[in-house]
Amino acid sequence: MLKRRALLSFAALLPPLAVASRARAQEASQQQLAAATSFIAATAKEFTTVLNGAGAGAQRQSQLQAIVDRNVDVPGIAKFCLGRFWRVASPTQQQAYLDLFHRVLMESITGKVGEYKGVAIAVGKAAPREGAIDVPTTINRPGNPPSNVDWLVSGAGGGFKIIDVIVEGTSMRLTQRSDYYSYLSRNNDDVGALINALKQQAARQG
Amino acid sequence: MRHPLRFLLLPAATLALAAFQTGCAARPPASDKAAVAEYNQTNDPLEPTNRVFYAINEGLDTVILKPAAIAYKDVVPKPVRTHAHNVLANLSTPVTLANDILEAKPRRAGDSFMRLLVNTTVGLGGVFDVATGWGWPAHDADGGITLALWGLPNGPYLFLPVLGPSSPRNAGGLVADIGMDPLTWIGRGDVVSALDWSRYGLTALDTRAGLLDSLDKIKAQALDPYATVRSLYQQHRQYQIQQVRSDDRATVPAWFLQPSRP
Repeated sequence: MLKRRALLSFAALLPPLAVASRARAQEASQQQLAAATSFIAATAKEFTTVLNGAGAGAQRQSQLQAIVDRNVDVPGIAKFCLGRFWRVASPTQQQAYLDLFHRVLMESITGKVGEYKGVAIAVGKAAPREGAIDVPTTINRPGNPPSNVDWLVSGAGGGFKIIDVIVEGTSMRLTQRSDYYSYLSRNNDDVGALINALKQQAARQG
Repeated sequence: MRHPLRFLLLPAATLALAAFQTGCAARPPASDKAAVAEYNQTNDPLEPTNRVFYAINEGLDTVILKPAAIAYKDVVPKPVRTHAHNVLANLSTPVTLANDILEAKPRRAGDSFMRLLVNTTVGLGGVFDVATGWGWPAHDADGGITLALWGLPNGPYLFLPVLGPSSPRNAGGLVADIGMDPLTWIGRGDVVSALDWSRYGLTALDTRAGLLDSLDKIKAQALDPYATVRSLYQQHRQYQIQQVRSDDRATVPAWFLQPSRP
């Protein structure tokens, strides 16, 4: 009897407990969303300061590289883009791939510097997406229609890092992965061939 | 149909039929789960044939369209190009409006209607895009998006000769758009025909000139440009459909009691 009453009272306690914990979880994620938003706002401000600043070409490039290295999870994106072939690659290949990926990505970002003169970035309201946080922004460039760019931010392992950029609905890492997958499937799934192609690409760029 | 693009339909249909009969991409064995998932996600069973058309289009682009677009950009000053773009956009607004209605999106239809009205009158026949500044910005609506909202399946990825990336649903939508366009049916004779042709030619130039930098960049950065274009196109179409689907703005006037938001 006593046992049942104890059980009952325990059960009665459960729903409020659940509500409380759910509320706390929501609150925490609200905090996280706000933090992710301010992270993107801060990064955007860093970018625009450098892009619209008076610095010389080479100096500006190294400043941009520093911002990217600090705020973007480049190795994580590289692994995502190689997908199931990451496990197939040998440790030497993995290292060579990571280095080349970093180099090609940097070139493609800093190569666009001229285009982004006078850029203004407005940060929107963050929302959870695919186990990460999506921070939408609207990018205004003089003489161009505004474009919607979403930043996928992951907070795993301490500070926030950007793990994907989604421009008008097109995810950069998904596009890159489909490019690599297609290249690999046309080259006998050989990661070595992909690395050679990336080497050529890096040489062409730089 | 007396439409200038009608000559495209028969060869396109023949080629599509030929494509179904010849090249199909080899399906990976069912044991290789990752490869099968990738094959399904890519949704390109006709890849070998699509690649042939991609190569043909690349050739045409290199020889004709790209040089023409570069010349257009070099010769015609930017303000003139902008106004030409505005006029073309205004001419295509009736089709956008029809699709907004077919998508059952009243606010978007209202935006298109006001754009057509304001830009045709105050904007002097569409030369100036006044409506955007007045709170009626442009948006995407076409037959492919409408059919998607109606629940029609997309079908496999298609790379069509001349027209480029598509799918059975988007190609069907394109045919519907041409049928819905009042300009398809207005007038006849050599002058009208010449005007129609100029419109298509100018649209091609305007579009290609707008893509010069980004397409060059895609081709320079992609290891397999065909696959990159395919991925970008599929993601972008998905995004456009999502944009329309999620636009549920109320039609209650601003001065009236607003319905509570969920």
